[in-house]
Amino acid sequence: MSTPVIQLEKVRKSFAMPGGGRVDVLDIDAFAVAPGEHLALEGQSGSGKSTLLNVISGITRPDSGRVVIDGIDLARLDEARRDRVRADKLGMVFQSFNLLPGFTALENVLVAMAFGSGRPDRSRAMKLLGAVDLGHRLHHRPAELSTGQQQRVAVARALANRPRVVLADEPTASIDAAHQQQVIDLLRTTCTDHGVALVVVTHAPEVSVQFPRRLRLEDFNRAAAAHKR
Amino acid sequence: MNILGIAWRNIRQRPLTSALTAVSLALGVALVVATLVTGAIVQRAFESGAGLGYNMIVGAKGSPLQLVLNTVYFISKPIENVGWDFYEEFLPAARRADGVDGKYAASTGVAVPTCMGDYYRSFRVVGTNSDFFGRLTRGDGDPFRFSSGENFRDDDFFAGVIGASVADSLGLKVGDPFAPTHGADDGKVHDPFHVVGILERTWTPIDRGVFVNMEGFYLQDGHAKPLPDGVEPDAPRAPAGEGPAPLPAAQREVTAILLETASLPGLPPELTAMGLRTAINEGRDAQAALPVAEIRQLLDLFVRPLELVLLMVTALVVLVSALGILISMVGSSLERSRDVAIMRALGARRGHVLATVLIEAVLLAVGGGLVGWVLGHGVVAAIGPWIAASAGVRAGFFSSAPEAEALLVPFLVLLAILAALLPALAAYRTDVSRWLQGPG
Repeated sequence: MSTPVIQLEKVRKSFAMPGGGRVDVLDIDAFAVAPGEHLALEGQSGSGKSTLLNVISGITRPDSGRVVIDGIDLARLDEARRDRVRADKLGMVFQSFNLLPGFTALENVLVAMAFGSGRPDRSRAMKLLGAVDLGHRLHHRPAELSTGQQQRVAVARALANRPRVVLADEPTASIDAAHQQQVIDLLRTTCTDHGVALVVVTHAPEVSVQFPRRLRLEDFNRAAAAHKR
Repeated sequence: MNILGIAWRNIRQRPLTSALTAVSLALGVALVVATLVTGAIVQRAFESGAGLGYNMIVGAKGSPLQLVLNTVYFISKPIENVGWDFYEEFLPAARRADGVDGKYAASTGVAVPTCMGDYYRSFRVVGTNSDFFGRLTRGDGDPFRFSSGENFRDDDFFAGVIGASVADSLGLKVGDPFAPTHGADDGKVHDPFHVVGILERTWTPIDRGVFVNMEGFYLQDGHAKPLPDGVEPDAPRAPAGEGPAPLPAAQREVTAILLETASLPGLPPELTAMGLRTAINEGRDAQAALPVAEIRQLLDLFVRPLELVLLMVTALVVLVSALGILISMVGSSLERSRDVAIMRALGARRGHVLATVLIEAVLLAVGGGLVGWVLGHGVVAAIGPWIAASAGVRAGFFSSAPEAEALLVPFLVLLAILAALLPALAAYRTDVSRWLQGPG
């Protein structure tokens, strides 16, 4: 098996409670995603989905354990270098797409490139937007785009820096059923076309059922399992 | 797109707030620039008294500053007059009736007499001789040049030379007659003189002067010094020819003598000047003033403190504008938080977001500052004709206070950074997980 693009070993994370004491959110022995693999992570509210994504993306440091992204151990890096790994290796798609409202579709993609190791590449940004059928909407701001078009900008932006894996956090949660399938299709097709691994976090079984590999957080996160009990 | 582009886009995202912030800063900077430039113009106006071909002014006892202001800048009233015989003490034997060197002749290079007290319209009339334009200079050692006509001859008693502002203002041309009045505007009207020369503009108070042959000046009603009872006037100093006889020496007075001191053998020029000044000031007849020193003292005592107060007031205006930047940045920090969190999630480092906010403030400050700089110079250009007419000094769009203005951009950058530091730190500390947290 080739080197996983995401590998977690004995990762634990807890948070301090306002009234004192701590609550365990993550307690994961092992978790890995292979290159190009498409994976759905199912979990109910409070199961630690967002914390897991923050730990994988290096935004949050685990209390212990290893988080390795494309062979780079995040535990050995300071925050600025973790940010660089996030910019270069990971593409992010958020629940409400989180496009920058003051920036055009093209600029939203270029902004992501500004934080990566390479130079912002205008022609590549245009090509990415063209690939999701937005070649005619390059200079429109998010407010001037339909929900479906915003989704596509978010997908194009996630691929801006040629990531190894795209992390999508509840990408269908805030849209109607008619658009949900479009988003999933778009993500899977685009990631397949670019040879990028895809991890979709969702609480919707009808979404996760479409993925070749499905995991429930409770199955490998002992902290989530304990909460459920 | 780089950090600069992101900052610029952030500014454009809030066009009204950004424009208002920049405009308020522009107005403050315009005020500062106009004050600085006007101050520099005033200073240059006074410093233009240097390099005119004389380094000392001799006149009646009294305030040396008043003597300088009146003689060089045509400000204030003449103190009093000194006798012609005292003026002759600076002349060499060849120019004296008695054929003997004057007491101070050895220390004197050039001595030009001036007589004041008359006006033509609102302009000062200065009685002098042809040496004023022949041996003195217009500043920085440049000789006087005439835009039309020429210097008057000493034997043309009723000839006059006028400055550029006088010619422009009154429309006088060579050959035109003009009749000065005794004292102020409503004084007795004297005999007419005629214009023989119009000076090129010098951007000094000379532009506002009406210079007449002092021989004609002396012959005007009320200009001859009354003789004590029983004293007979001297014989005329020169053959009268067909014209009027010149005023006898005993009835002549001068308001000031413009002196270029000479170097005595073996003595540096400064020591000669100092010695001559001491000798004159110790006597009872007159005082000697050094225009450069007097003006420096005036600037140090009055003009600079006034400038400082004005600058402090305008600096306060700029500080208020800086508060505008702070308020604008703080006001937008909430809407910015979500954007910052998105950028951080996309891989922006904390340094990126800190720099973005600071650059945004610097762009606003420098942009507003540049507009204010142009506006400030525009104000000076707008009042330039008035300054030129009233003070005789050049004031236009390109008038500048280079040293102070060179500090403007670094000052604005510093101000912007200080004003934006708190919002920038808030952006720096933005909690990504809080702003982007999903339900899980």
